[in-house]
Amino acid sequence: MFWENIKKEFVVTNLKANSEKEVFEELGQRMVNAGRCKDSFVKALEEREMVFPTGILCDDIGVAIPHTDSEHVNESTISIANLDKPVKFYHMGTNPKEGVEVQVQFIIMLAIAGTNHLDMLQKAIQLIQDKEVLLKLIAAGSSEEVIQIIKEKEMQNEQNN
Amino acid sequence: MNKTIKILSACGTGVATSTVAAETCKKLLAERGFENVDVTECKSIEIVGKAEVINPDVIIHTAEIPLDQLKEYRAFRVLQFITGFGAEEVADEIAEYLKSKED
Repeated sequence: MFWENIKKEFVVTNLKANSEKEVFEELGQRMVNAGRCKDSFVKALEEREMVFPTGILCDDIGVAIPHTDSEHVNESTISIANLDKPVKFYHMGTNPKEGVEVQVQFIIMLAIAGTNHLDMLQKAIQLIQDKEVLLKLIAAGSSEEVIQIIKEKEMQNEQNN
Repeated sequence: MNKTIKILSACGTGVATSTVAAETCKKLLAERGFENVDVTECKSIEIVGKAEVINPDVIIHTAEIPLDQLKEYRAFRVLQFITGFGAEEVADEIAEYLKSKED
């Protein structure tokens, strides 16, 4: 099950960050420290975000899905955070020079090694496609709660299939 | 429709959002009668060369691509396939375009 792959140590609630850089440092560094990603990961996230931004509006909620090339990753890992206050990202599909900003409240950071991760990616993206779940995830006050919400959603999906 | 549709899906890294967009696109096009869809994923920076090799029927992208160098192709920015909001409408547009190409 997807939720079982989400480790508490990579889930942060009410993350205090003033910039996307601080978000990358806070979440990315955890993955580096745990050996999931290489030392170059955080810098690579920043550089990629400057060229290919990952902020996205889901209906009216700002989310970001930072990720970078597989060469910076040892083991595929997902990190999730809701933010203490919104942080400015630029919108996916635009050039940051265009200045299309998104006030982001929720982060799904993807560390992807290799190419066979369709299921993990789809499940991760499904979390932001369901507004009710997304609002719950943004309001969650602990990493246990975040994982519980994801588990419940997955159980519900299983029942529907 | 038996002809295989070739789609080139581009994002910044070629492994994350383009993968999700490609799968969503495949599923939604199948629902619109396009059963044979071949998707190739690539990084935005590789797209001009990839397009020359593959000659796709349509390009979908979630990151900025050099549209001025891809004028002979129809490109759709498909963030809707990531957020889910408006995905059906974009799929309709792509299906319509593909049908118009066949005629």
